Amino acid sequence: MNNIRTLWEHCRNDFKGLAAVRWLEKKDVKEISYTGLDEAVTAVRKGLAEAGLSGKHIALIGTSSVFWIESYLAITTGDNVAVPLDANLPAEDLVDLLNRSDSEALFLSPKLKALTETVKAECPKIKNIWFLSEEDDQPCLTQLRASGEGVDDVEGNGEDELATIIFTSGTTGKSKGVMLTQNNLASNVASVQYIVEPGCVLMSVLPIHHAFCLCMDWLKGFSLGAVICINDSFLHMVRNMSIFKPEVMLMVPLMIESIYKRLATADPSVPAQVLAQNVFGGNLRIIFTGGAHLDPFYIGKFREYGVDVLEGYGMSECSPVITSNTPDDHKDGSIGKPLPNVEIRFENDEILVRGSSVMKGYYMMPEETAKTLEDGWLHTGDKGYIDEDGFLFINGRVKNLIILSNGENISPEEIENKISLSPLVAEVIVTGEDNGLTARIYPEKELAEARGMDAAEIRSSIQSFIDEYNVSQPTYRRITALVVRDNPFIRNATSKIIRAKALEDIPA
Amino acid sequence: MNREEEFKKIVAQYCKVSPEDMTGEMKFREDLGFSSLDFMSFLGEIEDTFDVELEEESVLKIFTVGEALELLNGMEAA
Repeated sequence: MNNIRTLWEHCRNDFKGLAAVRWLEKKDVKEISYTGLDEAVTAVRKGLAEAGLSGKHIALIGTSSVFWIESYLAITTGDNVAVPLDANLPAEDLVDLLNRSDSEALFLSPKLKALTETVKAECPKIKNIWFLSEEDDQPCLTQLRASGEGVDDVEGNGEDELATIIFTSGTTGKSKGVMLTQNNLASNVASVQYIVEPGCVLMSVLPIHHAFCLCMDWLKGFSLGAVICINDSFLHMVRNMSIFKPEVMLMVPLMIESIYKRLATADPSVPAQVLAQNVFGGNLRIIFTGGAHLDPFYIGKFREYGVDVLEGYGMSECSPVITSNTPDDHKDGSIGKPLPNVEIRFENDEILVRGSSVMKGYYMMPEETAKTLEDGWLHTGDKGYIDEDGFLFINGRVKNLIILSNGENISPEEIENKISLSPLVAEVIVTGEDNGLTARIYPEKELAEARGMDAAEIRSSIQSFIDEYNVSQPTYRRITALVVRDNPFIRNATSKIIRAKALEDIPA
Repeated sequence: MNREEEFKKIVAQYCKVSPEDMTGEMKFREDLGFSSLDFMSFLGEIEDTFDVELEEESVLKIFTVGEALELLNGMEAA
């Protein structure tokens, strides 16, 4: 059966004595084997059955941890559906997503304990909350594992049943729950053409609730018998590389750009090999990257330090990989060749994808689903072409989404809705510029006049509103620049602001 | 080199502003062109150089060179 249960049982049987996960506790390196992780996963799975959770949606809120992945596997190797959420979102957004995903139980990071009361009060469907820890005064994994003792194990979900719902930015200003089946995930893991020896060390630095990290660091890594090391903080990424000494890493372009700054400003008398040892830990051979455009310049530069950067392309809706360069077959500047389980065609230059990794649809959003999926073909919103050697290239977008180089997809409408809550904002357009978000605002002139405000006061008042918004948001959704316009935005015949002309003024 | 000079020298590795031209009011993102990850990576270097432990939650409230320096000096005092 092509499901996560079968995938995981193969890992458990083939890589028994090997280490599965390593992580840091204070400064000590901890480790769990495939066997140890399987025992924990099985115990939690039975505990969920004992709690009456079968065919239910179960959310996870927390950053990467061995407890997070244990719980995720317990949900998806059984008969429930996992809903991973971004732990950095404001409480109101998390409540909204918990409710919209119909989640009935929650695994919560102990760092977010303050959220418990809000969830209890505002998410009536949530019946159980377990903390992602082994010691707590509230229910946590220890009790859940123990509660499953002596309980019959459950079968894994069938391949066409849902495995996970992953939220992604929507162009309508509301994030959408991508429904991925057991087969979607298992076939994506199997189709990425990459093999390492069991015991190969990977270091996971991306957010675990993202499809790229979840499927390619974790599920793919496990399927190869890799040791997956958890980077506990971006603050310590370089330090952690020297501790874990990874051979392979997944990164978004922003990380590659940032590491390059370190390489470029190093003392030129230091030999490349020594510098690579200091910055990459000494064993790094391959970086897989995706999620945003990477300037091929960096690929050449990293090669000088003995590191191959292999770019791929994907989206949550495709579980997520669609194309990838591989160690044996790659071309700089391209995003690789389509996976064997994927077909690609073009419609007005837009890339359309069909295959066993393509999602079932958006959860409870039939209209959005119909717009994106037509006869099994998924509209990616990206424009591109395939060259004579079969490599895919991207050269534009048809949707409004802003893609930052950290791979985060930002829906400008979602942020505009929040900024327009300021009474001084008449019109606002958020644009992605210089790898940050710029708010372009036409102020409410009449109100400003009534309050006797001059241009400087208007700007400062709007800036204060934005500062307040920024504090409540994860860094990638913060506004980094403000432009106050003298004139309204240019509108089309139906009075809609023409987004593509947001940087222009109405001609005199 | 004193603490502030050493601090600014590390900041300068991530941007095109020299330590001499750097002021406390300068914002990492807007004025110095730091990406969010540059900022984290920079703080990691600060930890290693000055042997301090920063908390991710508290550094997210830092926007300017002066605020970062203040946090660092506060840690020294503690």
